[in-house]
Amino acid sequence: MLLRLADVQRHFGGVRAVDGVSLEVEKGAIQGLIGPNGAGKTTLVNVVTGYVPFQSGKAWIEGDQLNGRPAHRIARLGIARTFQNIRLFKDLTALDNVLIGMHSRRRDDTLAQLGTLPLFRRDQRARINQAHKLMETAGLDPAEVASRAAGTLPYGDQRRLEIARALALQPRLLILDEPAAGMNPSEKQGMRELIERLNKDGLTILLIDHDMRLVMGVCTRVAVLNFGRKIADGTPDEVSTDASVIKAYLGTGGEREVHSAPGAGGVVEEVDVAAAAAGAKGAPEPEMAILDVHELSVSYGPVNAVRRASLRVAKGEVVALIGANGAGKSTILNTLSGLIRPDSGTAIFDGLDLTSADPSAIVRHGLVQVPEGREILARQTVRENLELATWAKRNGRATRDEIEAVMLRFPILAERQSMRAATLSGGEQQMLAIARGLLAKPRLLLLDEPSLGLAPQLVDEVFAAIEEIHRDGTTILLVEQNALRALAIADRAYVIETGQILLSGSGDDLLHNPAVRRAYLGG
Amino acid sequence: MDFITQLLTDPIGFYNSHTLLIANIGINSILAASMFVVLYSGQLSLAAPGFMAIGAYTSVLMELYWRTPLALDIAAGTALASVVALLVGLSVLRLRGVFLAIATIGFIEALRLGVILNLPITGEGLGLQNPKADPLGGVNMVLVALVLVVFLLWRLTKGRLGHAWSAIRQDELAAMSQGIDVARYKMLAFILSAALAAFAGGLEAHLNFFVDPGDAQYGVTRAVQVLTFAVLGGSGNIFGPVVGALFLTTLPEILRFQGFNYRDIVSGVILIAVIIFRPQGIVGRGGLAIIRPRWWPRAQVSAPSPG
Repeated sequence: MLLRLADVQRHFGGVRAVDGVSLEVEKGAIQGLIGPNGAGKTTLVNVVTGYVPFQSGKAWIEGDQLNGRPAHRIARLGIARTFQNIRLFKDLTALDNVLIGMHSRRRDDTLAQLGTLPLFRRDQRARINQAHKLMETAGLDPAEVASRAAGTLPYGDQRRLEIARALALQPRLLILDEPAAGMNPSEKQGMRELIERLNKDGLTILLIDHDMRLVMGVCTRVAVLNFGRKIADGTPDEVSTDASVIKAYLGTGGEREVHSAPGAGGVVEEVDVAAAAAGAKGAPEPEMAILDVHELSVSYGPVNAVRRASLRVAKGEVVALIGANGAGKSTILNTLSGLIRPDSGTAIFDGLDLTSADPSAIVRHGLVQVPEGREILARQTVRENLELATWAKRNGRATRDEIEAVMLRFPILAERQSMRAATLSGGEQQMLAIARGLLAKPRLLLLDEPSLGLAPQLVDEVFAAIEEIHRDGTTILLVEQNALRALAIADRAYVIETGQILLSGSGDDLLHNPAVRRAYLGG
Repeated sequence: MDFITQLLTDPIGFYNSHTLLIANIGINSILAASMFVVLYSGQLSLAAPGFMAIGAYTSVLMELYWRTPLALDIAAGTALASVVALLVGLSVLRLRGVFLAIATIGFIEALRLGVILNLPITGEGLGLQNPKADPLGGVNMVLVALVLVVFLLWRLTKGRLGHAWSAIRQDELAAMSQGIDVARYKMLAFILSAALAAFAGGLEAHLNFFVDPGDAQYGVTRAVQVLTFAVLGGSGNIFGPVVGALFLTTLPEILRFQGFNYRDIVSGVILIAVIIFRPQGIVGRGGLAIIRPRWWPRAQVSAPSPG
């Protein structure tokens, strides 16, 4: 047993980020750690690596206890990690990044280097050779990258360099936090080969990633977290057919039984994804679309977030855009609101070209986004938040009436109108964000992850509010991770995976389509 | 423009007629080196003038009361400043960025207003006479000291210690993940910086007959001046701050020609221009930062590597 966690807990205020997790990682294994957004995976890694103190529970790497030790000591015990948002020493060269990784097993040579003694120069040469080898191991060409500033390397190379730096510690355990995030399929394949190669050389790896194809394909065992608790632990096959795992990923359809979830119950599906996709073309694309997106491609520097995505929304529809974390859903919405500019493709909303129009012009034209994470003004009161949403309108009486009307729809906001927005619960904050969006008088409302991080009964309330808004005649484009809930209220839906629209169809069709489960949990 | 003409045609005569300026350049360069050490380890500390005062007063007082040799005076001041730095560092080094800057300003002001201006032994704000000063003979010593300091720091930044400081400056969290004891290395940098400042203070006191406790000497004004050396020259390597000190100490002299009364304005404009066009400093890596008009095509981002 290389790594052992016993009942690890970490709460932030009232949020139980990690709530009594026990886990054992065998020596030589590739252990996967998965879970929906906000499940506590990164917090667990931060606790184990000493970045966040233990609240209770214990952890050992072989005989050495981890709890109570600072991060640099844990690193010296042989636990190396990479970070979800790459944390290289950006302005230093790639070579220096790897050399710094050797810090803890390098003798203090300050005096030797002050005199530029031969000892220092010989050791330094040996270190540089070793650093070049580590870069090669990670799949980098030292001749090309060694002298470049780390921050200027292409994205995939930065991920690889971070791994080379971690290897310089000569770790017993390597923790990879989303190493394949934002990579295209061929880069992901390369990452998979790298992980397998490192493991074959005897390195134990703890892998966190949202790409289920990668995790299920490469890991020997997989543990699943949800709301800070471990809900499953086993082989990839066991985990991917576990009912509670499917429920955690796809959400629940309210009263709907979990067994009717696509692919639940361990049914062996021989259906090819493409075939399933073909079968789902039942719902025709609308003729008269208020929003028409054609072949949209968006990238962040070298990362292709969205690839040739096309979708249409007709007036009065609720259209859902579902897919796993990092699939490109929010990027599409942000592009439609003019916050990001696409590389190519068109997006027309009721005659307005969204790819070139000013974001404020887009809002005035009636396309309003309620952003992920709500982005309300925490220090302002509920009423002030709503008043700010009507800032552009000069007519005092009319805006007061509008605010009153919105408060009638969301009585909880009227009750809390003089409280600071920060004191609201997550669900109430989401209501406030939606109410604020409504005040802009949208003809098309974009909702980005309205149920993110909410407890189940609050999810019910938010979805009830969405349906009510829809009944009043607002067209809605909904982005959700909670696929079952989204499909249940959607007229039509698009399933997106790694930046591409995989299939589309009516909400009911997709509810029973095994390809949906594959998009979330891999195949 | 006599100044530059003389420098180019008659360097020995220049050296003899500008010893005070050259000595000032040396002192300011050592102070800039002191600032470099903290900046290189990612700490915006403005404490240098405080440690400088400790070095200056300790050495002058030892000279006045015990008549100890100069080397011992300066060594004692440097050692005392290091001990004080350890104590101050224990309380302030948990702070980062502008908060550390404010805390260290608090330290230098408390030291100057609270201690130096109140103790009878330091002259209670009237300053301290130092009859044993040697303004002309001191300059060679200062230049030798500067060369040693620059060499020492240049070597330090190339090795394990320098790598650890760079890592901390770039990203403390990532540095920890590589097994670097961040608190310890920050403390080391803070103490070394204090020792260098005290060393410069001791040298400077030896060049002047009068130790002046004014703000321009040991207060915030001096701290900002020293920070400017590092910002102007660039703090990516030890030579940047030294070039910054050389440039900013010399500039007023270059601009001192007949009937020209706008030296401060010209200095200010040059400083702003450097910050706009060379944000990495004069010696920093990379070319001129050209301000790109909106219609100008952006630099191509290199394509991702396959696999």
